[in-house]
Amino acid sequence: MKKLWAFLKRDFLIETSYRFSTLLQMGSIVFTVTGYYYLARFVGGSGFSGENLGAQGYFAFVLIGVAVHEYLTTSLEAFSRGIRESQLAGTLGALLSTQTSLAAIILLSAAYPLIWTSFVVMFYLAVGIGIFGVRFALGDLSAAGLILFLSIIAFSGLGTLSASFVMVFKRGSPVVWLFGGLSWLLGGVLYPVAVLPWWLRQASALLPITYAIEGLRAALLRDAPWHELWHSVGPLLLIAAIVFPLGIASFQIAARYTRIAGTLEQY
Amino acid sequence: MNAAAISVRNLVKRFPLSRGLTQIARRPFTPRLATALDGLDLEVGYGEIFGLLGPNGAGKTTLLKILCTLVLPTGGIATVTGHNVVQAPGSVRQATGYCLDTERSFYYRLTGRQNLAFFAALNNLESKQAGERIAELTEMLGLSSAVDRRFATYSKGMQQKLGLVRALMTDPGVLLLDEPTKSLDPAAAAEFRRFLRNTLVDRFNKTILLVTHSLEDASECCDRIALMNQGRISLRGTWAEVRGAIRNGGGSSEHAGHL
Repeated sequence: MKKLWAFLKRDFLIETSYRFSTLLQMGSIVFTVTGYYYLARFVGGSGFSGENLGAQGYFAFVLIGVAVHEYLTTSLEAFSRGIRESQLAGTLGALLSTQTSLAAIILLSAAYPLIWTSFVVMFYLAVGIGIFGVRFALGDLSAAGLILFLSIIAFSGLGTLSASFVMVFKRGSPVVWLFGGLSWLLGGVLYPVAVLPWWLRQASALLPITYAIEGLRAALLRDAPWHELWHSVGPLLLIAAIVFPLGIASFQIAARYTRIAGTLEQY
Repeated sequence: MNAAAISVRNLVKRFPLSRGLTQIARRPFTPRLATALDGLDLEVGYGEIFGLLGPNGAGKTTLLKILCTLVLPTGGIATVTGHNVVQAPGSVRQATGYCLDTERSFYYRLTGRQNLAFFAALNNLESKQAGERIAELTEMLGLSSAVDRRFATYSKGMQQKLGLVRALMTDPGVLLLDEPTKSLDPAAAAEFRRFLRNTLVDRFNKTILLVTHSLEDASECCDRIALMNQGRISLRGTWAEVRGAIRNGGGSSEHAGHL
């Protein structure tokens, strides 16, 4: 806990030392949400709708998709960015000669980006609710919390897998390329998975984001009962149970390889 | 307690080199290797300052990185205060303070104190204990007035001192210093050497393994030195013994150039 706090404090102090950047980030969220609002009005006006979008319509639908995609992007990139930035700055050697393991350093490096993303997502939703009048089913948030938690674990597994590639090859992670790109295309971020052809729907069933978005939309837009949410929670649990240990194991192998090759601090 | 604070026996390190497609196709299972350490033997006693000198690429920094567990050896045994660097890396890190390229190993946007507090937490120090240690060490090294300034504003000498403060935060018995005086002006380097000898070794009985290209470091500060070349130690002894051996024709021409 003490180490987690140390990492959070470090990243907060560094981030807020660039004062203008934080302000601009907030501004860009307002632009993004406004853009989706008018896109939603256009989609609503075109007569495109369906029960998959829920009673709240396209705007609420897309807000949840984009919010979950923010978590995926952060999780995929935060772990590898933690290594890459330390290598580039030259601090990795100093970090690794402390009494904290490499795996802990990488996991803790992702804490601040994930918390910041949560703040950004809250801001997305607050803008949606406060300015554009979206109504979410906020009665029982435990289901949404569980789905979000499992999603972050599954995404973080992919993130550590990605960090393993960056550790060894320094640049270019096939995990980000594959899961980042496919999740945007097939995960149901901007449109329901149901509009995809059969063979693409099969591919989307292999992506954790599909279940994360589906589950959160069901919980937050339709207040779906637990037995219905299980269709999202079950696969997410399975994917998290496979991908997270796989990510940690691959990272340990990559760390050992770079210690043998002497490339740990190289970039 | 072990007889030696640092003990290295027949240490070998070979780094794999990248290969072209033709080489991979011709000999897929024969890696290209570069030898950095070639059966190195070394013992550094408790309370001793031991200097490692030698040309670039001799394997000095590789040895330090193995001793602070950043690099795994290919063969041989290395221990620090009796702890094996491969089998007990956590205990080795606990016993060791490593002062490396300080210019790039701190966060430029944070103050000296914020940097030290962060690394102290990673070394399992409680915040109260860390605060006391920062106050004590920065006072000792004359950094107290600058500790709340951003690291980016520090001179080379101050950066070097902050690196030493960080290495001393956990009060380790062994210090591994990689060219600590390389960016310092002569007066600051002399002051730094006096601090190593008078305060850290004579007063606090620390053991220091010092990699250096500076003859002043070797002659004024070290109890013993060793000359390394191509991953091996070719000469060792006190400054006077090594210098005498070279004058009598011992060592290589590179060593003669060094001394």
